[in-house]
Amino acid sequence: MPAPPYKMWEILERARTGPFCEDEPFIMERFMPSLKVVIEKYGIEYDAAAPIPGDDDLADALWQAAVEFFLEVGVLCVDTHRIITFDEREVKEALYLTPGEYMVGSGKDARCLKRRQVEDANPPFVIFSPDISCDEELFSPMCIAYLKEPLADGFCAPILEESMGLRIKAKTPTELAGSIEHAMSLRQAAKLVGRPGIFLVAAGTAESDVGQISISHSDWGVRTTDSRLVGGLTELKIDNALLNKAAHYQQFGCFTGSLTGPIYGGYAGRAEGTAILQVAYHLMGLLVHQAHYQMNFPFHIHYTSGTTRELLWVASASHQAVARNSKLISVSNGFLNAGPATEMVLYEAAAHALASTVSGANLWEAAPARNKHKNRATPMEARMAAEVGHACARMNLSREEANELVLKLLAKYEDRIADAPLGSEFQECYDVAKAAPTQEYLDLYARVRDDLAGKGFEFPY
Amino acid sequence: MELLERLVEAVEDGKDEEAFALAQGAMAVKMDPLEVVDALTKGIREVGDRFERMEVFLPEMMLAARAMQKALEPIAPYLERQSEGREKKGTVVIGTVEGDVHEIGKHIVALLLEVNGFSVYDLGSDVNALDFIKRAQEVKADIIGASALMTTTMPGQQEIIEILRDMGLRERFHVIVGGTPVTQDWAEEIGADSWAENAATAVAILEEAMIEGRGYAGTTL
Repeated sequence: MPAPPYKMWEILERARTGPFCEDEPFIMERFMPSLKVVIEKYGIEYDAAAPIPGDDDLADALWQAAVEFFLEVGVLCVDTHRIITFDEREVKEALYLTPGEYMVGSGKDARCLKRRQVEDANPPFVIFSPDISCDEELFSPMCIAYLKEPLADGFCAPILEESMGLRIKAKTPTELAGSIEHAMSLRQAAKLVGRPGIFLVAAGTAESDVGQISISHSDWGVRTTDSRLVGGLTELKIDNALLNKAAHYQQFGCFTGSLTGPIYGGYAGRAEGTAILQVAYHLMGLLVHQAHYQMNFPFHIHYTSGTTRELLWVASASHQAVARNSKLISVSNGFLNAGPATEMVLYEAAAHALASTVSGANLWEAAPARNKHKNRATPMEARMAAEVGHACARMNLSREEANELVLKLLAKYEDRIADAPLGSEFQECYDVAKAAPTQEYLDLYARVRDDLAGKGFEFPY
Repeated sequence: MELLERLVEAVEDGKDEEAFALAQGAMAVKMDPLEVVDALTKGIREVGDRFERMEVFLPEMMLAARAMQKALEPIAPYLERQSEGREKKGTVVIGTVEGDVHEIGKHIVALLLEVNGFSVYDLGSDVNALDFIKRAQEVKADIIGASALMTTTMPGQQEIIEILRDMGLRERFHVIVGGTPVTQDWAEEIGADSWAENAATAVAILEEAMIEGRGYAGTTL
């Protein structure tokens, strides 16, 4: 299978020679006005009654708006103060060459990560990830607990804050030590669980480019069958450190995920702008990061979550736009308001998975408690999302049916978003030695799952 | 509609050229510049409040702030003559700590502080701990605001406080920390003066700190 067009050196050249622009004018005079123009031109409108919109014309208009916006604005490199721009033919070429699927992981644990269609009957590829930091002594038990989950097609481990008792600081030797500890312990956990070749996305502890580069190793570290992420700066900006990561991943030969979270309420404004930006980020990921898949986490500026009504619309509409108009692989990352071992977090996980799966995305689940609190994530929240994702694909749900269901889920938690419960830490609702949930959490999970079944979800087992 | 009302509306709506022309007009008819600035400040604070309630969004708030700056241009020469001794709320040096390139949260805090009457020096992102301090000394700041968006960059906030202590300057500045992973517990652990969960809270905390004299340098316009 071919990789996306390899043009890293062209990107680096444009980051050096493109049109000069400083940060503020890029946002104030280029980004914001252009976004406003395409929202109006293409008549993009958020509909609070349809968090999962069923309108193909809306999805296609979003795609057109995003392509036009991306071509107009480009991507600013904040180190060189130059804008990397593309023309329409380059976008079409890159989209044409995108294969739409990759075999990831290795041996018996290898899986096909592929693009999905709107209302696809094939289940999503699910990457389990706590998305938070954890105590050093909990790192391995948490990894094992997540890797034991049967619906996990891939895994991304929690982030270390300490290594060998030292506080990790980005861009220092403590980060290199922590990154190596992360990669080695993760690999060891995968082997212990009996999934040595599972697709791993690593290492979140390596925030800097040097941290990432230090863990590329086919024996103990990140392998070419694994993946790493390269992010962006808010919004449509990058820097040399991010380009270093992108270039290294290509040269090392692993899979690159483009990690972007447009902010609802931020520079993109309302839901319409946030959705257009999310689609445009797929083009940045493809053309600038040379990514194999796009990892999306649009979030609310005040709550840092993605399960408000508006953000479910952003996720659904943007994934539909991408799925209907390209072969790009999208992965939808759930940011949940409530913490583990609460009913609310399970309903949020279900809502996010439902809105994403029926709209053509794969899943990356989940960041509970607003992605903020150490140790506050467990595999159970991701399990709920994965089970709902599989259920809605197997049921071959239409978007209209999914919308009816998501409204019922929103009714369970929407009024509690501002004061969402923090829930429990991993060690409070898991038997750490066995890496298994407590009976109390299992019972809570069963009650919510039964309630979902009563609302119309048909779980495969 | 009264001239002043139209000016405030132009600022709230982010119409910078109109705001500039109306402000020029206000000065031409010899309106009291302090009265005009007070009305504008009230208007821009209302925009900030609407942003917190999500009735307007960041683009509108940024355009309003820019219109405010534009409106102040023709007023400033008249204001300077009348405002001797008029106190600024305080001077803030703000930035995202070393190794961290996340800017938007810090940018919103800076924007809200500025429209609420603080003098703000935004150092940008990936700022070395000592650079915060040097700049704060240089501009005679009252407050150092340090943002961190990653757990692995939070130690940069701690470094600022440790260096301040080692330089014998800890009592000289009010240090406020914030950012998604930053909590009250962390602020207490590293000895920060305050922690703010969001931009509006940061403004309220720092206004109170200045009133209570916990901003240490003191500045006048």
